[in-house]
Amino acid sequence: MLRVRVASQEKWWLPLAIGGIAIAIGIIIAIVIPADSLFRPTTILVASISLMGLGVVTGTAGMIALCQLSFAAVGAWIVEWFSVNDIWGNIFGNFSFVVYMLIAGVGTAAIGVIVGLPALRLRGVNLAVITLGIAAAFDLTLQKTSFPALVAGKHIARPFGLGSDFGGDKGIFIFAVVTTALVAIAITYLQHSRWGSSWKSVAFSERGTASAGTSVQVAKLTAFAVSAFVGGIAGGLFDSQITQANFSSFSPLQSLGMYVLSAVVGSHLIDMALLGGILFVVIPWILQLLKVPLEWSTVIFGVLGIQALTTGSNLGTDIRNGFRRRRAKAMIPTEVGLASSQAIAAVEIPRGTGKVLLDIKGLTVEFGAVKALTNVTLAVEEGTILGLIGPNGAGKSTLIDALTGFLPEHGGTVALNGVSLDKLAPNRIARGGLRRTYQQDRVPPTLSVGAYMRFVSRGQAKPAEIDEILAFFACPPVRTPLSLVDVGTRRLIEVAASIAAKPQVLLLDEPAAGLSHDEHVAFGDRLRQVPSRYGVTILLIEHDLDLVRSVSTSITVLNFGEVLASGTQESVLSNPEVLKAYMGETELL
Amino acid sequence: MWLNNVVAGLTPGATYAIVGVLLTLMSQLTRVVNFAQVAVGMFGGYISLTLVTKMHLPIFVGVIVGVLVAAILSALLGWIIATWLSEASTSARSAVTVAGLLFLISLAFILFGYRNQPFPTIVAGPLFTLPGGAVVSKVTVVVIVLAIVITVGSWAFLKFTAFGVKLRAVSDRQMAAELLGLNVKMLNVSVWFVTGAIAGITVALVGPSASNDYVTLSSIVIPGAAAALVGAFKRMDLALIGGLAIGAIQGLFAGFPNLLIVRDWVPIIFIILFLLWNQRKEVWDVAR
Repeated sequence: MLRVRVASQEKWWLPLAIGGIAIAIGIIIAIVIPADSLFRPTTILVASISLMGLGVVTGTAGMIALCQLSFAAVGAWIVEWFSVNDIWGNIFGNFSFVVYMLIAGVGTAAIGVIVGLPALRLRGVNLAVITLGIAAAFDLTLQKTSFPALVAGKHIARPFGLGSDFGGDKGIFIFAVVTTALVAIAITYLQHSRWGSSWKSVAFSERGTASAGTSVQVAKLTAFAVSAFVGGIAGGLFDSQITQANFSSFSPLQSLGMYVLSAVVGSHLIDMALLGGILFVVIPWILQLLKVPLEWSTVIFGVLGIQALTTGSNLGTDIRNGFRRRRAKAMIPTEVGLASSQAIAAVEIPRGTGKVLLDIKGLTVEFGAVKALTNVTLAVEEGTILGLIGPNGAGKSTLIDALTGFLPEHGGTVALNGVSLDKLAPNRIARGGLRRTYQQDRVPPTLSVGAYMRFVSRGQAKPAEIDEILAFFACPPVRTPLSLVDVGTRRLIEVAASIAAKPQVLLLDEPAAGLSHDEHVAFGDRLRQVPSRYGVTILLIEHDLDLVRSVSTSITVLNFGEVLASGTQESVLSNPEVLKAYMGETELL
Repeated sequence: MWLNNVVAGLTPGATYAIVGVLLTLMSQLTRVVNFAQVAVGMFGGYISLTLVTKMHLPIFVGVIVGVLVAAILSALLGWIIATWLSEASTSARSAVTVAGLLFLISLAFILFGYRNQPFPTIVAGPLFTLPGGAVVSKVTVVVIVLAIVITVGSWAFLKFTAFGVKLRAVSDRQMAAELLGLNVKMLNVSVWFVTGAIAGITVALVGPSASNDYVTLSSIVIPGAAAALVGAFKRMDLALIGGLAIGAIQGLFAGFPNLLIVRDWVPIIFIILFLLWNQRKEVWDVAR
């Protein structure tokens, strides 16, 4: 039994309201604080935006990118080039800087996509070193070519005709506040969108992401593009402040420092990116006031970084968990879980329509000299549950992998409702109506139940339907964070989400592993209803024969990669060959 | 002319190769990409510099103390990671070394000052001249020999000695090694100690000929890591070849002033393409 607590619905307008309040506070600060003290606060905002960008690609999507300041350099370079050459000054007037900054963002995003391309095959440390190498190459290039304003020997015009004096600094601070607020709002909405879910999902499992119908490539490249876009905006904003950039502000070592800072504060959270920006500026400033050499600030960052990383936590998550614990007391406890759920009306084992929905012919999979599957021919009838059993190593999971596009080199043909699935990528197959679940936990814990259900179902189920399916499988409600849900229930949520996606056929790979016997029975009661209730035909791999017998219209036995027997429950389970292969010579069913 | 440039590129190339081989060793044995690999050597180098110039100790004493300091700093970093991050991901463990790198660079600024002083020279002068007129210096030969010795030596050590076998056991199955009664932490820290010492020796050798400010010196870890990438942080022989090749390519391009920008991009692009080809089958994050 699992107990969760339910809170009120999240309010969609909240980020906008907070952003508006933040802008108002920024304007008050700009009025109250003397102009000559506003340089550092502006730098805080620039650093915060950089950290937000890093928070997307590294914090959310889990790819270590060590070239965030190279993106800022590209952004600053583009803004300077447009400004120095005064491309559209007479068209956009005082708004031309904003236009240049947006162009800088888009241009940097394009470069971000190119930088992200290696991430499609290279991961972890290899990717980290490659991004660092790219940062180093950018640095050397910038040292030689320098920035347009420096080359031309002038300063770029500030946005909205603001002066380069202290009076202008007030305006620049407000400009920075508005830019930061807009970036923060945009990132917040993106994090809650399909893209945000795909970033969190790809950080946890690429295979799981593809099986949810989302392209891993698109997920990774959008993360790099958004991160680079934000980095380019930060670079442009930086240039509006200093009006003439220099390569030394964007060195690879500073990118490395940004990465450590991002890890320390947990900059995938907006407020923590702001805190990171504050630390970035305030620690050196305090040291300067105390007349301590500035290098001590890096020493402090180094120590903070080691401390944060060795404890495996970041400030943002720690603080949030603290709040969550306090808030949890205020919520109403609800009981969920199959065992404690109400019994549902018993339903007969489903009978099919007679039409073959999933048609597998001569499926063969070879790993080198090993034949994992040999000439497997199988037909799944619409509206039924086909139980697929067999001893360990019989090739059951290999069959699912081959059907769902993870083994594109397989022999034979697979057709779903008459449409060939051969050579399709896994995410295409999932979208085409053949879904699967995993034996392993492939449910990203960084999402909430609702976000995960929406991500997997891809708009196929309305919110009310999602609630209904969750309730049917006695899963926790949509607001529950998946990190609070145990692994067995997570896998039930995976099943529920796959059903919500309304596939034609759903392949379940040991969905009940990790559940107790009572829960097995309750799960079987529900599974029998799925074909008629949701219109989803099911192929079930399961070791628990009680469960298989309680739900399956027909049963197929795999052994050593070949179909040993196939047919009705009675005929298959009384087949002496099956008894011998599956249960050993002496045991009886 | 071009041969001269290639030969000139071999000294930094061999340095990248040594760093690349060390990084590969660290990655294989301790599951970490040690961004502070050169920084500990740099720090040791400045310790010996201080001892020689300020306290007027003989050069060899200074160098030995410097190498020891590098080894101990490296071991300390390794101990921190082995103590608190023994179960953590490679990324988290590597990030700690980034913090260590920044820490050491700023500490160097504080302790040794802002003015760059020349390193005391250990090996200097030309050794022989190639038929084409390219001069090969002693440092080049020494560093290349050192790179080869480290590569072959580490390979033989891991393959043929009992200690090497233990280290491999620890890196492959840490839990199993622990259950067999091996002191995993001590073994890990000893790897850090040795690689730190080698980094110290390398800096002592090439420091005088490299541009020797704290940041530039510590940043040799970047081309070094690029060399290790050629072997995908798995193969030391490829890291050795990769390091020498990066140095040679950079030297070659130095002869064409109008290609200077291309020169900075050639190694990383070459490595990315090589790795993409090498890892073309790694479509998914996990095997199943």
